[in-house]
Amino acid sequence: MKDHKDRSNSKQPQSCHPQEQHVKDNKKSSSRFWKELAKGIVISNPVFILTLGLCPVLAITNSITNALGMSAGVIFVLLCSNIMISSIRKAIPLMVRIPVFIVIIATFVTIFSLLFEAYFPPLHKSLGIYLPLIVVNCIILGRAEVFASKNSVVLSTADALGIGFGFTIALIMISFLRETLGTGSVEIFGRQLFKLPGLSVHPLTFFISPPGAFLVIGILLALFRWIGVIRSE
Amino acid sequence: MRNKILLNKAYPVVFLAVIVIVSVVLLMAVNSVTSPIVKNMQVEEIKNTLRSIFPEMSQYEVEDEVYIIYEDDEKAGYAFIASGSGYGGNIDIMVGLDSGFGIKGVSILSQTETPGLGSMITESLFTDQFKELSASDIALKADGGKIDAVTGATISSRAVVNAVKEKMIEIIDSLEK
Repeated sequence: MKDHKDRSNSKQPQSCHPQEQHVKDNKKSSSRFWKELAKGIVISNPVFILTLGLCPVLAITNSITNALGMSAGVIFVLLCSNIMISSIRKAIPLMVRIPVFIVIIATFVTIFSLLFEAYFPPLHKSLGIYLPLIVVNCIILGRAEVFASKNSVVLSTADALGIGFGFTIALIMISFLRETLGTGSVEIFGRQLFKLPGLSVHPLTFFISPPGAFLVIGILLALFRWIGVIRSE
Repeated sequence: MRNKILLNKAYPVVFLAVIVIVSVVLLMAVNSVTSPIVKNMQVEEIKNTLRSIFPEMSQYEVEDEVYIIYEDDEKAGYAFIASGSGYGGNIDIMVGLDSGFGIKGVSILSQTETPGLGSMITESLFTDQFKELSASDIALKADGGKIDAVTGATISSRAVVNAVKEKMIEIIDSLEK
């Protein structure tokens, strides 16, 4: 009798109405969805916090248009592969899980590449080899192994969207700085957004080149870490 | 029953094979939709590039590597594609010749050079310099020729110049035979 009482005290209070419980569960799971999504944007930002897949980031951020095209590819592949891997996660044999992930990711990257080649040819040309390189982008393989293979489809979708948006925001920040400083003007898909009078005549082309990429990413990384340190204090 | 399937030693192999087959089918489906579009685009692009060099072109024929340009049923010139290794990868150039084998015009088909630097080889400021030059003149001014390189993009400029010159000599040779 006593034991039974003690045990029931340590349990969470059960709601009397089954509908209330259902609403509570839905609220819990939908807030978890947004939590996972928000995680990918700030706390687990793939570029500034996880520092994964930096090679294409360095190469592609020489213009905002390229960065947007690459981001679209990463979001598309992340979403498709996370959803697919998550939905078959219970059937994937442990021994061959990496080959399975790679085949699935490579398929979606190829699909994206084919669609891009047909409907956005100039962007496809300027992304060049970095489009197929999305296959071995550590971000996508990493999320598949760490998250999608162990969580539900809904949460994996949230994770893909969050990480994808975090990636996009990071790329836009970096490419905006590099393009503005390195060419003096900013263009999106051929339309010029603005032109800085002083810089466009004598641009700091250092920032368009690879060393400039390292510098910009390094400074932004330091900034993010610094904000993180301040926050945790 | 389910555990028996999962523990079967052949299961991983079968699973991987199924995944691969599904992926291949998916890719074939997408490719069948996109490949005609891509092929059409390539033909259109060539047509547009030829027309930019020969504004009065009415039609063209392809013989080996040479495009024969017709203006109202008269042979007006020739064109060919030259390829070279630039700073950031392959550069494809469409070169137009008039009937006297002088250069009618040059147009960059594809390049992946550095934006803002090497990519300026596509500008008419650079490509216009090729007009009416003979093969011996085609070199950078720094190499004894008549062409100004794009500032800060010597490698890209030189790649274009060398590719055009080499292919031009080869094509004129085969045309004169």
